[in-house]
Formats: sequence, C-alpha cells, structure tokens
Amino acid sequence: MNAPRRWGVAVLGALLLLGCLARLLIAPGVDGHGVGFALPSGEVAPLRMGAVGSALAAGMCLGLSGLLLQSLLRNPLAAPFILGLSAGAGLAATSAAWIAATMTALSAEWISFLLAGGSGVIPGTFGALAVLAIVYCLGRRRGVLDPLTLILAGTVVATMCGALTLLVQSLMPPTSRGESWMWFMGQVPEIPHWPLVFAAVGLVALIGAIAARLGSALDAASTSDDEATSLGVSLPKLRLVLFLGAGVLAAASVALCGPIAFVGFVAPHLARTLLGARHRALAIASPLAGGAILVWADAVRQAIDVGAGRLPIGVLTALLGGPVFLIVMRSYRARPGGWSC
Amino acid sequence: MLTLREISHRYGDRRALDAVSAEMPAGHIVALVGRNGSGKTTLLRAIAALVSPASGSIEWRGIEPRALRPSMRARQIAYVAQHPSLAIDLTVREMVALGASQRQPAEGTRAVDGALAQIALESRAARSFHELSAGERQLCVVARALAQHEAGGLLVLDEPFSNLDPGETVRLAKVLRGVADRGGLVVVALHDLPLADQVADSVLLLEEGRVVGHGPPGDVLVPERLESVFKCPFLRGPQGLTLGR
Repeated sequence: MNAPRRWGVAVLGALLLLGCLARLLIAPGVDGHGVGFALPSGEVAPLRMGAVGSALAAGMCLGLSGLLLQSLLRNPLAAPFILGLSAGAGLAATSAAWIAATMTALSAEWISFLLAGGSGVIPGTFGALAVLAIVYCLGRRRGVLDPLTLILAGTVVATMCGALTLLVQSLMPPTSRGESWMWFMGQVPEIPHWPLVFAAVGLVALIGAIAARLGSALDAASTSDDEATSLGVSLPKLRLVLFLGAGVLAAASVALCGPIAFVGFVAPHLARTLLGARHRALAIASPLAGGAILVWADAVRQAIDVGAGRLPIGVLTALLGGPVFLIVMRSYRARPGGWSC
Repeated sequence: MLTLREISHRYGDRRALDAVSAEMPAGHIVALVGRNGSGKTTLLRAIAALVSPASGSIEWRGIEPRALRPSMRARQIAYVAQHPSLAIDLTVREMVALGASQRQPAEGTRAVDGALAQIALESRAARSFHELSAGERQLCVVARALAQHEAGGLLVLDEPFSNLDPGETVRLAKVLRGVADRGGLVVVALHDLPLADQVADSVLLLEEGRVVGHGPPGDVLVPERLESVFKCPFLRGPQGLTLGR
C-alpha cells in the first residue's frame, strides 16, 4: 500500500473510532433538553452500544452497496435506493401496519412491534427483496442487466410503491399514521436484533471480500462495455454479482434502520477522495466510510433538539447529503468527458 | 491468420456489413479504410468479439474468438476504441495495468513497464488519465492494449492516430510495426489514406458494408477507385498517395 493510501486508511479509521466515541459520550442534557457528555453506565451503556452497533452495521451495508451500484450503473450519483428498495420496503412495512391496525384482534402495541422493532424488520426486508426481484426482471435488455434500463425500472417501481404507500397510509387509522411516517425517516435502534447486526456485518465482510477480489474487473467495468469486454471482463456475470450484492446489502440496511438517504451515495465518494478510484481498496474503504458517516450522524443528531425529540436520522443525512450530491454533480460536469447537459 | 467468411450484420434496417470475406496473415498491418458509416468499426468490433455478426464466421489461428473464455480471449485479442472512456479516474500506470490484469503479478508488472516504455509514457505514469491531452490518452490506451495481449496476438485499433501530432504518429506507427514484426496481426481502421498507404502491408477498402478492394496498398489505393468511393480527387506520385486539389 502506498503512502497516500496508508494515510487515507488512517483517516477513515480515526473517523470511525471518533464517531463511535462521540456516539457513546454524547447524551441529552440533564432535563432532557440540550446536550451533555457523559460516560455511559448502568442501563444506558447497552443502549448506546446497541445504537453504535446498529449504525455501524447499517452504514457499512449502505457504503458497500453504494459502491457496487455506482460501479454497476457507471453513475457516480447512484445510491442504494435508486433501485426502489426503500420504497418497496416502505410499502411492505406500511401494509403490514395497516393490516395489523385493521385487525381488531391485534392491539396498538402490535403496530409498533411490526413497524419499529422486533419482527418489524420482516415486512421491510421482504418488501426490499421483492422489489429487488421485480427490478431484476424489468432491468434486463436482451437477457442481460443493462445499467440504464435498471435505473428506469428502479425509478418506475419506486414511484409506484410510493403511490401505493400513500394509498395505504390514507386507509390507516389516524393514530397509526405517525408510526408509519417515522419509519420513513429512518431509525437507529438502541435495542437492535443483535443476530441481524452480526448477519449484516457478515454480509459486508463476504461481499466486500468478493468485491475486493474482483477489484480489477470492477475498474475495467467502469470504462465502456467494449473496453471492459476486451479486457477480459464477463459483464453479464459481473453485473449480476453487483446487482445481487448491492440489493441484499441495501435490504439488510433497511431491515436494521429503515430507509436512510445519501449515506450510500456519500460513502464511496469519501473513500475515493481518501484512497483513489481503484475498487480493490474501495471495497474495504467504502463500508468503513459508510459506518463512520452513519455513526457520526447518529451522534450529531443527539445534540440537535427539535422540540419534539431529537432530529430524525434520515432527515439529518438528507440535509447533509443533498449539498454533497450537488458538489459531486458539479465536479463531474467539470471533468473531461463529464456530462454536458 | 485471421479468416473472415461471409460476415454480415445489420442495425435494424440498415445493413452494416454485407458478406465480408478476407484473410489477414499474422505479421501484417492491415488497414481498414472507407467512408464514415462504411462498416469499419462494426467489422473491427466483430473481429474483437464485441459484437456477434448476424451471419458468417471469424477465426483467429483456427479458433472462433467468441468461443474463448473472456480472460483467455483478452490475452489473444486487444481492442482500442476510438474514444477511450473517461468514466474512471486512474493514473496512467493504473490505466495501463488494467490491460495486464489477466496476467500473473510479476509478468503483469513487466508487461506494464514494457508497454509504457514502448509508447514513451514512463514520465507521465503517475499523472491522472484525465489530465492527459486527447492524443496522450489515445497512446495510453494503446499501451494498455500492448500490456494486455501476448506476443503474436491480434491487435485491433479504431482510428488510433486521430488525435496524434506528427511525432506521436511516427512513434505509434513504429510500435505497430514492432507488434507485426513479432508475429502479431494489427488490424487498424484509418481515415488518413496517405498514412494507410505508408504504414499498412495490406488494405481492405469498404463501401456500404461491402469489400471493394483488398490487397497491397499500391493495388487498392489507386486514385480512380478512391475518387469513386470518397468522391474527391487523389494523386499517386513518387511521394506516394496524396489528396488532390
């Protein structure tokens, strides 16, 4: 590893550790308002450890998923939810809540249970994976996954899922709608399903190792179809691996924290800035960057009191990620061969 | 030997190639010439196994290139596109190293060093590919192709001279001659007919997807035939082929 890359890994590692430390130490003020710093103890310690674990696992999933998608779609603005996975997960979770709310045998606790924690991950994960299968079927051209067709298929499926979600929300009892809206803002659970967290980390390790091994092929695939094929890359197989890897990782992040915008988009760019464009290094660095970003975002939001509680994490990541999106878009337009529109 | 038998291909209603047949021996530089839209790029892509022709067959050293595994084919056949992609921001060395990714690491390093030296890009090896001029980028992807294919392989290039200054043109022509002299076959699409006349061992002249001439440059690039194809005058004198007035 050359000196700039060593420096980049050191910066990422420091960001990650400091983010974890900040999340462990930052706490609401003594009266529930403002911000304080305290070493966690007693019952608080496992809660903060749970939040750190959830944020790291979900952030790593999003970071790696974003990298794979940006490579698959040859689009630096691509993000995990461009395939419509969050919209599908949202539709499934909202539908589950609606069913639960309209069945008199189930209490309001069931609604919360289905949406926020416990088995609430099941409908969301199912919805994300179902959309993954649909977009796979729609995103092929002459039997092969095609980047542009995939984006269009994902956009159409996301729009339809969004419309159906609004319909289901309008049918829900008013008392249940708040829970549904909260789900769409993303939540880093302080009491996570630890098996799910470990499974997500395991997925990141497995898919990250595969991506690192395919690093040269991913570099070549970032050129044109003709150049990549001439360089010995089997694009149909590679795209299938990238699609499935990115989709499963995005579904895992939805299962952990609900839909969280922009982390999967920003993390690969942070990794590229620190380590360069080669995918072998990025396959390791992007999940680390994603984990660092989400754990920092969760720490920072603890310090932002909006009156009715802390700032929702999805709102914070969208507020911070939006400007980054614009900066990246402008920088790519200014590059040789950049967009002319 | 590269053998093309009755290659035909269409894009929708438009006929791109019409029963193209030719034999191209190893050790030669073969120039594909013709007007824009005459089928040069489609034929090059078919030779490099990047497109499946609707009918006909292609054999390189007795084997259909599309029957080879992609990694094996990459070591036999390298393709240089007319407009290299700028989608990934690598250094020149990293870009050239993409060509050697199917080789063992030590062998790949030697291939990359050798290719950079042949194209005289060693001094720019650490620079970003994006920072190069269009001509230097073209040379960089030629270096990548040199690092990719083994000696005696097939090198397919689409207008590689288009952005080069005279010095770079001479240097690249020497590199292509070196590939042919080591037993390889170079198939190159060219718009510059005087250049084709100078560097090629044989010329394949295409018109609307059909072969209208194939043989030594002196036999194919004759002013009357060229005037009929390109609708402009050419002269052949002691200095070779020139564009008339």
